Amino acid sequence: MSGKRPIDGLFNRRALIAAGGGGAVFGGLIARLFQLQIMEHERFEVAAAENGVRLDLAPPQRGRILDRFGRPLAAHRQAGRVSIVREQTNDLPGLMAELSRHLDISPERQTRLISDARRQASFQPVTVKSELSYEDFSRLSVLAPSLPGLQVEMASTRSYPRGRDFAHVLGYVAKASEMDLERLSEGANAQERAAVRRLFKHPDMRTGRSGVERSAEDWLRGEAGFRKLETNAAGRIIREFDDPTLAPKPGRDLYLTVDAELQKFAIDRFGVESGAAVVLDIETGDILAFVSTPAFDPNDFVNGISSADYAVLRDDVEYSPLYHKAYDGTYPPGSTFKMVVAAAALEAGVIDPNERIYCPGHYRFGNNTWHCWKKRGHGSVNMHWALKGSCDVYFYEIARRMGIETLADMGKRFGFGQRWELGLTGGRSGVMPNDAWKRAARGEPWYEGETLNIGIGQGQVASTPLQLAVMSARIAAEGKIITPRIIGEGPRPDSDIPFDAPLDAAIMQRMKAAMYGVTSEAGGTALRSGDLGLGGPRLAGKTGTSQVRRISAAERATGILKGENIDRRLRDHALFVAYAPHDDPKYAISVVVEHGEGGSKAAAPVARDIMAEAMRIDARRTPSYIRTAATGGGTSGGAR
Amino acid sequence: MATTMRASSLDFSRRSLWTQLGALPWGLILLICAMAMIGVAILHSATFTNPEEAGLPIRHATRFGVALGVLLVAGLVPLKWWFWAAWPSYLATLVLLVAVEFFGFTGGGAQRWVQIGPVGVQPSEFMKVTLTLALAAYYHKRWNDFSGGFVIHLPALALIALPAALIFRQPDFGTTLALFASGGMMIFLAGLWWRVIMAIGVAAVASIPAIYFFVLQDYQRERVDTYVAQLTGQSVNVMDDGYQIEQAKIAIGSGGWTGKGYMEGTQSQLDYIPEQHTDFILTVLAEEFGFLVTSGVLILWMVILGLGLAIALRAASLFARFAAAGAVATVAFYILFNVAMVLGLVPVVGVPLPLLSYGGTVMITTAGCFGLICAAHLGRNEPLNTGA
Repeated sequence: MSGKRPIDGLFNRRALIAAGGGGAVFGGLIARLFQLQIMEHERFEVAAAENGVRLDLAPPQRGRILDRFGRPLAAHRQAGRVSIVREQTNDLPGLMAELSRHLDISPERQTRLISDARRQASFQPVTVKSELSYEDFSRLSVLAPSLPGLQVEMASTRSYPRGRDFAHVLGYVAKASEMDLERLSEGANAQERAAVRRLFKHPDMRTGRSGVERSAEDWLRGEAGFRKLETNAAGRIIREFDDPTLAPKPGRDLYLTVDAELQKFAIDRFGVESGAAVVLDIETGDILAFVSTPAFDPNDFVNGISSADYAVLRDDVEYSPLYHKAYDGTYPPGSTFKMVVAAAALEAGVIDPNERIYCPGHYRFGNNTWHCWKKRGHGSVNMHWALKGSCDVYFYEIARRMGIETLADMGKRFGFGQRWELGLTGGRSGVMPNDAWKRAARGEPWYEGETLNIGIGQGQVASTPLQLAVMSARIAAEGKIITPRIIGEGPRPDSDIPFDAPLDAAIMQRMKAAMYGVTSEAGGTALRSGDLGLGGPRLAGKTGTSQVRRISAAERATGILKGENIDRRLRDHALFVAYAPHDDPKYAISVVVEHGEGGSKAAAPVARDIMAEAMRIDARRTPSYIRTAATGGGTSGGAR
Repeated sequence: MATTMRASSLDFSRRSLWTQLGALPWGLILLICAMAMIGVAILHSATFTNPEEAGLPIRHATRFGVALGVLLVAGLVPLKWWFWAAWPSYLATLVLLVAVEFFGFTGGGAQRWVQIGPVGVQPSEFMKVTLTLALAAYYHKRWNDFSGGFVIHLPALALIALPAALIFRQPDFGTTLALFASGGMMIFLAGLWWRVIMAIGVAAVASIPAIYFFVLQDYQRERVDTYVAQLTGQSVNVMDDGYQIEQAKIAIGSGGWTGKGYMEGTQSQLDYIPEQHTDFILTVLAEEFGFLVTSGVLILWMVILGLGLAIALRAASLFARFAAAGAVATVAFYILFNVAMVLGLVPVVGVPLPLLSYGGTVMITTAGCFGLICAAHLGRNEPLNTGA
């Protein structure tokens, strides 16, 4: 279509002009490209070489460990640290000499640090001193810019604000050793192994060595990230990129069921004694206190404990502070086991609870004589009286009547001979012996005489304080199944044995009545410990003494050695199991006072005081980790 | 109207779809495909160090697949349909732009998006194509109503200024510039007098200070400051605004004749350059392949645009000529402005490099522009004298 004006000609002319213009601009851009890439190439090449972006590994913040009310048991603390980086200096000894003018570093340690730095990857900082004082930190910070290779920074350190109170439960973290690295990279391929090694070699990185810190490592650890730093040719950091995609992901907090205040009270109550105590919430199985004393301070381990300090802890075999007595310690249950024996006999029908057995103070079986703790004898006692007076002869007799297999079956139903999985490191199963066990362990058949010893909780039967607490909780709950737990919110412990062993409620009511008798009726062995000092509610319990040594006939004749007359290590352990309040049980407790001799004298008062404190605190107040869930439920309920 | 519809569908079926497909400008389309593949390769290099960006090259390829479909479909649409659609689509886009003003949501710091059903769209991108159509239709229809002179261009200017003002308010400085550049190019092709062009040029230069102080937003002003500073060789604060452009220059400059090799660019691999997979993709090309390949890619673009312009010159109808030339101008503006920006010649305004930068919007706009060029090619012999 051609109009009045010669449009084609105009359009074509203009289009060619525009094309020419566009081409010229393209040409100009190519010329600029030439200028940058060819003419100024050298300048930019140098600039590119000087540019360096460094990705520094950033370890994740470890999750905290909190008690049931959210009180921190394991948290973080900022601490100044000075380290040297080999790749940033070419005069390592000179740097070390300069540094030692400001910090007290022994010549041996200086040599050691230099050789450490030379052995490690050149970019890997070697810590000279962590936990710098404020003065040292500020002085060295001022110095750092003028000393290449010197790195002064604040770092986050694991701290245990409650010190030794939770040493065995929490365990501790430490720098990963070769063994730790091996364990942490189990089942990983070569690349993942290298990543694990790289992460755990970071000076801020720690790994759990024992306790929850170790068993919940994956939950607590979080994910490592990077700090993206721009550096110039000299390696100095020019700026830090803020890159949220690279930031480390912190680990998750973990709630324990324990009550930090109750735990502290219990430990203080033990004083200088060594021993263990376990307080259980009967309804939920929550462990409220898990005491093993004396303990160590896990803070000492975070930055590496000196071998001398460690030796002190390790070599104290008498008080064994490294040992988790409540979970790893096994003790003959002594007379606290008598409820198990009585329950087994009743269920097996070998005795009527009203049948009286005469106790002359000793029991003859075969060619041997077994003794009652009461030399003069209890006289004629039925089951109730035998339990509250803890008559040994009565239990020799009923144990003999039912035999070891019946007795051992009942023991296993109470949880003896079985390790309770709590999601902690350690934990022992103890021993609930029978014929098969003895043949396997000793290669000998079971002798009937041994059954008598088991009948009073001595001999080969061995139990942990945790097992004893569960036992008394199950009696108090009249046979209900109770599974103890200590992780409130955290990784679920994987127990492959579902514990399912019901107990007869009527029989348990008898046991409860007897335990009440022990503390509250004439003839009870722990009458002084029944009153909780809270007005109404009383404590119901059972004393026990766990023999450490065999008593010879000669010694028995001249009088059994006790107290000052015998070395502490040979004295008996004092035991007490209990629940309270007697009429509506809420808490169960077990206490072992090592070498405390008498259950009623040494263990029962401790148990009573801890129990009274538990009642005062009323730890059943909703725990923090439930509260969040409950609030959510409440909101949805309100919306309905 | 009904009769013409039938006529056109008859027209469409007369020559089968296959014949139409075969008649498309395949040389041009293959060059476009080649350019997109270069884009995939560079994106692979630009993103492979960052696992979070691992899927980008594949997604770029997928998007190009979709865009190619759009291009072919748009190319096969009869030119008449384009012509009829010109005014309605322009008005619809204008309505959407007003809707952005009132109901739009914000993405990337500016209010550019509006929700239509399930998808968020950027009407300002549509406007690049529909403005071209509207201007082409305008000049096609009105050419004979004026006996030449200046007045014919005033409505055209209004067609540009209306959407440009709305987009500038969003604010989207890049697209505003793009509309003025490609629309202005069409006015230029329509024979605007040289003395008017001169006058506008003088007025534009004179108004720069006023624009700088009264029109630009603070962050836009800062960019201009940085630009002027680095252009005049002042030491720019490399930690802040100048950082990106300085790092881009280092990357480009260190490339040399032949570059550092594929995936060997230290600047690119160490993620120095923000936006290096989108607006600054050219830095990766320049660093890793050097001057020869980079200028080769620019020349390839010139060839593609030249082929498009040749189609415009061969078309019979004014609508086809203006539409194709406007589409070429739109894409050309993207390229020239992006390259100039990356080379530190103009301030950093977010303009991507078509087919090479990662991004869906520019891909579809580019496909629409080339689809229009293809349609102009197929309909080059149609006089389109409907109602004229």
